[in-house]
Amino acid sequence: MAQELDSFLPLSPASLHILLALAGDDLHGYAIMQEIARHSGGKYKIGPGTLYDNLQKLIQREWVQELGRRQNDEDPRRRYYRLTSAGGEVLAAETARLSDVVREARLRLQTGKRLSVRPRRA
Amino acid sequence: MLRSLYIRVLRLHPSGFRQRFGDEMLSIFDRKEQRAAFGLLVDGLISLARQWVFRLEFWHDKSPASIPQHRLDGIPSFCTLDPFRPRTAALFHGMVLSMAIFSVTCFAIKYSWIRVLHVRIAEGQFESNASTQPSSIQPSASQAGFLGQQTVARHSADNAPIVTPATPSPSLNTTTQVSTAPDAVKKRALQLSAKARSEPWRAFGASLASKSQDAAAAQDVTGIPDTTGTTIPAEDQEENLDAAERRRVIDGAIANVKRYYVYPDVAQKIVDGLLVHEKSGDDEAQTDGASFADLLTRQMREVSHDRHLKIVYNRVATPERSTGPSAADLAHYREDMKQSNCMFEKVEILPRNIGYLKFNEFPDPSICRQTMVAAMHRLNDADAIIFDLRNNHGGDPKMVAQIATYLFDHPTHLNDIYDRSSNATQQYWTQPPAPGNKLADKPAYVLTSESTFSAAEEFSYDLQMLKRVVIVGETTSGRGHLGSAHRIDDHFEIHVPDWRPINPISKTNWQGTGVEPDVKVKAVDALETAEKLARSKLHK
Repeated sequence: MAQELDSFLPLSPASLHILLALAGDDLHGYAIMQEIARHSGGKYKIGPGTLYDNLQKLIQREWVQELGRRQNDEDPRRRYYRLTSAGGEVLAAETARLSDVVREARLRLQTGKRLSVRPRRA
Repeated sequence: MLRSLYIRVLRLHPSGFRQRFGDEMLSIFDRKEQRAAFGLLVDGLISLARQWVFRLEFWHDKSPASIPQHRLDGIPSFCTLDPFRPRTAALFHGMVLSMAIFSVTCFAIKYSWIRVLHVRIAEGQFESNASTQPSSIQPSASQAGFLGQQTVARHSADNAPIVTPATPSPSLNTTTQVSTAPDAVKKRALQLSAKARSEPWRAFGASLASKSQDAAAAQDVTGIPDTTGTTIPAEDQEENLDAAERRRVIDGAIANVKRYYVYPDVAQKIVDGLLVHEKSGDDEAQTDGASFADLLTRQMREVSHDRHLKIVYNRVATPERSTGPSAADLAHYREDMKQSNCMFEKVEILPRNIGYLKFNEFPDPSICRQTMVAAMHRLNDADAIIFDLRNNHGGDPKMVAQIATYLFDHPTHLNDIYDRSSNATQQYWTQPPAPGNKLADKPAYVLTSESTFSAAEEFSYDLQMLKRVVIVGETTSGRGHLGSAHRIDDHFEIHVPDWRPINPISKTNWQGTGVEPDVKVKAVDALETAEKLARSKLHK
């Protein structure tokens, strides 16, 4: 499984942010966009075209599950999406990978030395 | 405004994406402020391109939420395509477009100048050649010059047209020969036509005929395959024929007559006659090559009465050459045709809008087609047409078919040519009518004379049989057979008629009898008579 996940990494920024947005709660599309804007401090925004294109792929990979519409919703047209357990694993793997990157970047910035290339963590 | 645009953009998305996310995207659009609408529209357009170009796998995807999921591990599942029904307008447009393409294709096939798609099926075999359809046989030369191009070679004394074969092929069964026939004919034609340039006897009977009608013919050079396997030293030995040489020539003549002469039964009689003369010692007094050749020719004609059959003595020894015309020969022929306007002498519109075309050869269409087309085009608006063949000495039967094409509104079977050596028959048909041709139903007249030879006779005869023309003038020369020249040795060659036309209507040809005119007048009066006939016909 780890090997399979590894083949999908690194995630595209949009996919990463969508998974991240869904990590907290089930959300509809517009809410995902708002959440992304929020947790990126407004520095990363995606439009609906990009959002649903990525959702399409994430659903196909079964990292995100489409829940369908909710009754009595404010806007009956919107559907809700949920992060699956597989999606959670991917998000965790990507987060770990980014952690390594960040860590190494910090080391390099601190020592000014060229570090040897280390095998990426699976 | 922007919203309606956005809706249209969404509608243009692939159906899978549109059905799955269209509503949600519009929902988001509705929640955004007005100032963000333009950005969303741009986003929608980018999405549109992305979905069509990069997301082929999702074009028909469906939301998993809307598809009942009953799959169990290990159990195959079946899905059906999304029920799809094209719009009525799309069906209509498709129908109109299909019909338009079909019509254009049919039109192109029918009227294309290239005619690459014109295929006629004849007796199980077909040949895309424009005007010739081998049914099971190979063309042969004899229709005197006309078959000509192949080269009707004409010789001095009697103007007998002869064709030189590229290679004397052993008898083949008809089926196998068919496919090779056109090539063989072509080769033959080119060979002769090329030779004609430099030799006294000429292929395409016509143009050359008038130029070389003297004893020079006796010095012809022929590159014809040796059929006897014997050669004479190249030195000049005209006066010193010995018994062995005479024997060799007679044997060569016998072998060729047996093999090629167009009527096998007559061939045997000719051979018998030659042997009788030889045994009786009639040949022994001859020590001069030319005299000996003339003597043998007379002996053969005693039996056959065929003026195409003859033995020619070449004073200058000619070594055996490879068959086929050289590039120089071809270039020479082309140049000759160019200088003579392909033997098209006059193209005129006579009073009362009668078209008049005088041409003295049926040249190789591969070289002269454009000239012929231009001439016919000029006469296209005429109310009647007169073909003046009074000085036409033959040429290529393919050109016969191409010119005759203008007189019919559908492909018409003109003639067959039987080749004894290959035991094959080649069919000649007119082509489908040229686009815009107006002559198919116009009165047509052919002027003939005693000097109308070979392919010109074929043109007259074929169209007379089809009752398409009125022939005015004199009985033609009666050269229906076409022959080939075969090498016996360095000095002697024999011209043997091995091709004969077989008209599909009369089942015979004009060999010996000539083509009888419908209106018999002296050749010099033929044009005037034809004009009168045409005028009175148009006047009715």
